[in-house]
Amino acid sequence: MAADDDSEGMLARDLGVTLGGRRVLEGVSLTIPRGQVTGLLAPSGAGKSTLLRALVRLVDAESGSITLDGEDIRSLDARVLRRRVGFVAQTPAMLPGTVGDNLRYGLQDLTEEAMNDALQAASLDDAFAEREADELSGGERARVALARALTRGPELLLLDEPTAALDESAATRIGETLRGLRERGLGICVATHDRGFADAWVDRREQLQ
Amino acid sequence: MSAMVAKVVAAAGFTVIAAALSVRLRLGITREILVAALRAGVQLAVVGALIALVFRYPVLSFAFVAVMLTTAGVTAGGRVKGLPRARLRALISIALPALGATAALLLVGAFDLTARSGVPTAGILIGGALTATTLTGRRLLEALVDEAGEIEARLCLGDEARTALAPAVRRAVTTGLIPVVDQTRSVGLVTLPGTFVGLILGGASPAEAAATQLVVLLALIAVELSAGLLLAELTQRALILPGQRIAPLQIER
Repeated sequence: MAADDDSEGMLARDLGVTLGGRRVLEGVSLTIPRGQVTGLLAPSGAGKSTLLRALVRLVDAESGSITLDGEDIRSLDARVLRRRVGFVAQTPAMLPGTVGDNLRYGLQDLTEEAMNDALQAASLDDAFAEREADELSGGERARVALARALTRGPELLLLDEPTAALDESAATRIGETLRGLRERGLGICVATHDRGFADAWVDRREQLQ
Repeated sequence: MSAMVAKVVAAAGFTVIAAALSVRLRLGITREILVAALRAGVQLAVVGALIALVFRYPVLSFAFVAVMLTTAGVTAGGRVKGLPRARLRALISIALPALGATAALLLVGAFDLTARSGVPTAGILIGGALTATTLTGRRLLEALVDEAGEIEARLCLGDEARTALAPAVRRAVTTGLIPVVDQTRSVGLVTLPGTFVGLILGGASPAEAAATQLVVLLALIAVELSAGLLLAELTQRALILPGQRIAPLQIER
């Protein structure tokens, strides 16, 4: 993958990651600019999830570098990094309580307006806040996890296979949501093996071998 | 028939009844019952002889307690294998509260400062700490694996690693404390605990037996809570990595 020198957004160069004694990533580079949807394309098991986790320091890259707006992410407080760069896992876990409780988690002063804004950005109705989080379908969980990440006010969003196990109409809603977020200036990286989704919704592609 | 012989005959009789029931009902555990009974007999005979030696030479009580602690550490460590240096961490979690509480009980005069009082007191408290350490450790490691997605979600929402782990830690420590809390709550109503029964059979007055049992039970709560908290703390120190990350974990179920 080619890595640009653009310092705006996130830039990973020559990353190497070993998990459980196995080299999962070797010499991987990736650019996630702001204001665009970047598709990270690779077959299942190629290390997409590991790469996204390395970008928010959930796993450690032993070699290479990762910068956010030109600053090495290891020099940032990990909690600040994870608020600036939202990560939504392939099968996002819901925290106990309602959708509203999930969105308010760690943000006691979150206003109702901000919560509704996040729900709407994720194509969810305001009334969704009252739903019990553990009763949601897979597609609803994906969108709630997206809204939950948006309440932190991230600059970049990393989504791991957001359309996995979704039907076509639900995947379309996710695509429309991403496009809306892009218009707000967010940089988005979508890891997917779904070429149809990538053809329809991403602005630029990066291929993970 | 002397009381000693009567006890041995009674024990053998109950073993024969249990084994006969197992044979009759084809439960397939006859061999286990007989082996367990034989092992218990041999082990208690050896322990009895060793204790007698300890009473005769009190300095040996330190070695006796050290053996109990080592055995407890190895046992509990084997139950939390996914944890790095599990035996050492389990040993520390058991030893500190159990020995601390034993020393406190002996020094304030609750029990005589003798091998005859110290060794059994340490034994009871080590046993309680072993149970709490094993239960807390198992529950915590299972939670770290089963709830990995939820913990990761908390990290991604800006939590420190300790904050993200806090719900799992609380549940694990609570689980580790359930047996002793239940035992304390039901004492005298559902069961007569070992210390009480032993003292009564040994000729102590009911009031004296009750007071001793109460001290032991309440000491056990404090010791077991401390042991669980210590193991949880040592587990977190082992698994929290720089950058508010949590080390990947593999456990045997």
